[in-house]
Amino acid sequence: MAEHEVIKDPITGAETTGHVWDDTLMEFNNPLPLWWVWAFYGTVIFSIVYWILFPAWPIGFLEKGYTTGIKTISYEKNGEEVTRHWNTRSLLWADMHRGPEEAKRQEMLKVVAETPFDDIAKDPQKAQFVQAYGKNTFADNCAGCHQAGGQGVIGHYPNIADDAWLWGSDVAQIEATIRGGRNGMMPAHKDILTPEEIGNVSNYVLSLSGETANAEAVTAGKLVFDTKGCAGCHTPAGTGMAALGAANLTDKIWTQANVPGADTLEDKVAAVSGVISGGIQRQMPAFDGRLSENEIKVLVSYVKLMSAQ
Amino acid sequence: MLKHESIETNAGLLIVLTLVAISIGGLVEIVPLFYIKGTVEDVRKEDGTQAVRPYTPLEQLGRDIYTREGCYNCHSQMVRPFRDEALRYGHYSLAAESQYDHPFQWGSKRTGPDLARLGGKYSDAWHVQHLVRPKSVVPESIMPNYPWLLKDELDISNVQAKLTALKGVGVPYSLTTQEYDANVKNFGEDVAKKLVIANAETLIAEQVERANYDGNPAKLSEMDALVAYLQVLGTMIDFKKHDAAEFIEFR
Amino acid sequence: MMAHSAAAPVEQYNYDIVKKFTIMAIVWGIAGMTTGVYIASELAWPFLNFDIAQITFGRLRPVHTSGVIFGFGGNALFATSFYVVQRTCQTRLWGSGLAEFCFWGWNIALVVAGIGYTLGITQAREYAEPEWYVDLLIAVVWVVYFLIFTMTLMRRSQPHIYVANWFYMAFILAVALLHIFNNLALPVSFFGAKSYSLFSGAQDAMTQWWYGHNAVGFFLTAAFLGMMYYFVPKQAGRPVYSYRLSIVHFWALGFMYMWVGTHHLHWTAIPDWTSSLAAAFSILLLMPSWGGMINGVMTLSGAWDKLRSDPIMMFLITSLSFYGMSTFEGPMMALKSVNALSHYTDWTVGHVHSGALGWVAMVSIGSIYHMIPRLWNTTLYSTRLIYAHFFLATIGILLYITAMWVSGIGQGLMLRAFDDFGNLKYSFIETVVFMHGPLMARAIGGMFFVSGMLIMAYNVYMTLKNAKRVEASDASTSATA
Ligand code: HEC
Ligand code: HEC
Ligand code: HEC
Ligand code: HEM
Ligand code: HEM
Ligand SMILES: [Ca+2]
Ligand SMILES: [Ca+2]
Ligand SMILES: [Cu+2]
Repeated sequence: MAEHEVIKDPITGAETTGHVWDDTLMEFNNPLPLWWVWAFYGTVIFSIVYWILFPAWPIGFLEKGYTTGIKTISYEKNGEEVTRHWNTRSLLWADMHRGPEEAKRQEMLKVVAETPFDDIAKDPQKAQFVQAYGKNTFADNCAGCHQAGGQGVIGHYPNIADDAWLWGSDVAQIEATIRGGRNGMMPAHKDILTPEEIGNVSNYVLSLSGETANAEAVTAGKLVFDTKGCAGCHTPAGTGMAALGAANLTDKIWTQANVPGADTLEDKVAAVSGVISGGIQRQMPAFDGRLSENEIKVLVSYVKLMSAQ
Repeated sequence: MLKHESIETNAGLLIVLTLVAISIGGLVEIVPLFYIKGTVEDVRKEDGTQAVRPYTPLEQLGRDIYTREGCYNCHSQMVRPFRDEALRYGHYSLAAESQYDHPFQWGSKRTGPDLARLGGKYSDAWHVQHLVRPKSVVPESIMPNYPWLLKDELDISNVQAKLTALKGVGVPYSLTTQEYDANVKNFGEDVAKKLVIANAETLIAEQVERANYDGNPAKLSEMDALVAYLQVLGTMIDFKKHDAAEFIEFR
Repeated sequence: MMAHSAAAPVEQYNYDIVKKFTIMAIVWGIAGMTTGVYIASELAWPFLNFDIAQITFGRLRPVHTSGVIFGFGGNALFATSFYVVQRTCQTRLWGSGLAEFCFWGWNIALVVAGIGYTLGITQAREYAEPEWYVDLLIAVVWVVYFLIFTMTLMRRSQPHIYVANWFYMAFILAVALLHIFNNLALPVSFFGAKSYSLFSGAQDAMTQWWYGHNAVGFFLTAAFLGMMYYFVPKQAGRPVYSYRLSIVHFWALGFMYMWVGTHHLHWTAIPDWTSSLAAAFSILLLMPSWGGMINGVMTLSGAWDKLRSDPIMMFLITSLSFYGMSTFEGPMMALKSVNALSHYTDWTVGHVHSGALGWVAMVSIGSIYHMIPRLWNTTLYSTRLIYAHFFLATIGILLYITAMWVSGIGQGLMLRAFDDFGNLKYSFIETVVFMHGPLMARAIGGMFFVSGMLIMAYNVYMTLKNAKRVEASDASTSATA
């Protein structure tokens, strides 16, 4: 096709290139807008500076295999000052070891971890730190099981906001729980006891915490409790044994058998029988390694404070 | 600008030049990743064996369920080197940790939390409960329920074919004794045993029996596999044994 | 050329195939965006997952992304590229049987892929989710597409190839390259659906986002620029603003886009050097991208009044403003420090949709409204309905994007907020609770947008019905005559 004529636009005065497509499509031969050209040069300069500062070009014969850039980050390693080219990992290291925020946090963690639990409440700043640290650590790590307020899920995860403890109430025990995790274990009794025995002992267990139960069954159940092994873990009085994590059955607090959720005696017995026949198998994961030593200690205080309210 | 005439009047030239223009970027960025040594970190245990191992057959089947359900649409598996992520999730992810991941699952959106360091954070029972109905343990959750994972039996009929395909793309599962011996050297005997393709079904049975992930020993469910996979995420490297600055050297 | 233009347009051009792709673009648009509204609602009201495996969020999200990008966008691109290449070369499309194959191959591939996702069949890599057998079909379709397009170009009756066709060509070539390399995978068996990616870990991530970004760069950008370069000057009746700008920004875009994939992997376990290349090239992309916007918007200089009187022009020009906005936002988000906040949050999703709804959908809708009367040789049923569509779409987008800025920046800031002691201030689940409001707003924004699409479908339906009636009565009058 022959070249078309160059047309001059009556409105803007611009000239077209002389090409025409599809009857009417044309192009003006306007120059590149100057501001556009300068802005583009600006981005070119930006990029060149960027590449000079940061690791950028993969060039094989360099030591690392790429240009490392001239920007550096200094940090301390084994007491020595190390300076390396800018990279995301050094940046975090420097932030964690030299950043003011983490330093403050670590300092407070250390101070609070070393403070005996009973003294924490006396110092408002320390108490405040325990709350501040504990709130999120608990929410991100523990609340999935023990729920936001620590009230647990009956039948699965114990309430840790009340002051009843399976494994003992002192700080060392709680710390051991969080650090090493726990294996909550009660053997299933469905093959050891007859259904009748289970019914009876359930009545007895209910009576231990003051529930009104079938008196006849209670008497028969006490015999089962004392002779068929229950007392070995829960003690003859039924007050539980922290060393085994065996529950106190006299305190009206239920973590596994959903007695509070049952209305009639029948349902309550059923709830307790279920636990006795099926036993309990549940794990608390270990947080050693996931949280630091000091963090665990502060978390213990948080949990303790939560249960003291 | 006149020179451009020759390009825009010649379709062949336009095609060739365009191909040249669009090929360079990819080549410069992808090819070096295969030969620059530090790209994938060399992480070893104290006894000199590789810290990161391929997934056991059960874990790999679990991973296939993870991709099937599209968990990656809501969950990342990539802890970035920031203080907030360090505090929330733990040690940043290394490239080494996903070296056997076909495909990678780093994700691009966190509607739910990152899962790169999930292993060991919860009990198996919790995962079962959470996957069946997330709201039962996290009332505010917007994650869908996955009840069928517990109901559906795990399909292990093609597990050997799957492992063989993975071997084909470079995961060191073993078919021959030489390959097994190489694995013993690289990963230690315990791990090497778990990578024998011919034993896949037995290995699965053993692992489920040991851990009983879904709480029902009588049944091999999809839940068993998925929980096995979730529980191994981020656990292969024991970061307590490594000075964190060690990994900086690779960057 | 004379001989060609003397022939009636119906015979001169293969409009039949363009019509088919156009209709399918509308169908996929409605299907894909309705799925978008549904998954948006699942996040706002999770009971909508209904414990049905096939429709849970994780399985349905790829149905949405593939549906809108490849279904709606893809069909719109096939339609417009075939329309544009014929008209600007003034020649009939080469290989009409092959074009037919493209139509069926492409749409069947998408249906098979989409049903697969709901059944859990996926390669689990974003935008490349179809399994190996669909990938193969797509590859064949694509090669045929390339052939048709090239052969038609070769037959052109003009010495110069129009700028729109440069962009379409770059898109076809780039997508072929990306699709083939990124989908390299080993099937588990010949009769099974499952396959494993050839690459793993960091290399797999790099390849995937080299692909993923350029699915954006070429599929959702370069190709739609091709569309823009035809329909904006045509609709405005004005020449393209600057030929030189076309040249410069075409080559700059084509070259630079391929470098920036790693901005989807900032701060991950990918080596830092790839990040720096991507960040800088993303900044370099800003002006070349704006070159397209300037060329489009300035084409209107001298005809600004059309912005008030022509709703199709309103779609086209609004799309260019959103294009300008998202290509400004993109480079900003590609900076490592900004990305540290935005990555993994709804900010990305907002950016995506200012590009996807604001740019891709708006420019396609405008172009389709332009083509329909010409394809069917009729007039549009209602201009007022186009206005209604325009306002619903604009309100929808604004709701969507603002909601995502609030939700994304809000979540990003909450996750990295520290208290006075340097402890984390918020737990993850608190951010989930915080996002509930914006997630609802986004779902509502989507509903606005889809209502607009439904109005479009009605308008097009009525237009075609009228066209048929006219045709029929023409036929009957000539028969009786
Ligand atoms: C996977 C679920 C799970 C997670 C996560 C979890 N726990 Fe536990 N936790 C349990 C279970 C189950 C028990 C009961 C163990 C038993 O029965 O002996 C328990 C017991 C405890 C106990 C002992 C209660 C007592 O009465 O002696 C404490 C204290 C405790 N958890 C604190 C925490 C803290 C703090 C965290 C977070 C760092 C946490 N838990 C995370 C499941 C969990
Ligand atoms: C080997 C030790 C052991 C024996 C034997 C044992 N228990 Fe337990 N029992 C436990 C432990 C440990 C727990 C707490 C488990 C936990 O919380 O994870 C428990 C919990 C319970 C509970 C649930 C309390 C609650 O808060 O819901 C009941 C009821 C109970 N035991 C009754 C019995 C009875 C009745 C018997 C005998 C038939 C018995 N137990 C035998 C160890 C034992
Ligand atoms: C619609 C989005 C969505 C999908 C799809 C999804 N999740 Fe989630 N996920 C969430 C949200 C939100 C949370 C945070 C609340 C919670 O714990 O339930 C979460 C939390 C989790 C957690 C707890 C993480 C932690 O550290 O507390 C695990 C494990 C998990 N999801 C696994 C999965 C798996 C496996 C799949 C696929 C089978 C999946 N998710 C699919 C949204 C989703
Ligand atoms: C009615 C209109 C639409 C609605 C309501 C909608 C909704 C959604 C939702 C809810 C998501 C998931 C976000 C998340 O995971 O949190 C999404 C993702 C996505 N949508 Fe849409 N969408 C719409 C239209 C479109 C269109 C027209 C396109 C493209 C042309 C598109 C492209 C995408 C892409 C690419 C993603 C993935 C984003 C990412 O991974 O970051 N959407 N959309
Ligand atoms: C110069 C232009 C652009 C640049 C530099 C750019 C940059 C970016 C960046 C940095 C991200 C976030 C990556 C992350 O953090 O995960 C992103 C995501 C995205 N952008 Fe753009 N963008 C540009 C234009 C566009 C346009 C025009 C569209 C059109 C639709 C678009 C669509 C997308 C999509 C779909 C994603 C989401 C990918 C995913 O995570 O699944 N972008 N872009
Ligand atoms: Ca994404
Ligand atoms: Ca694919
Ligand atoms: Cu991108």
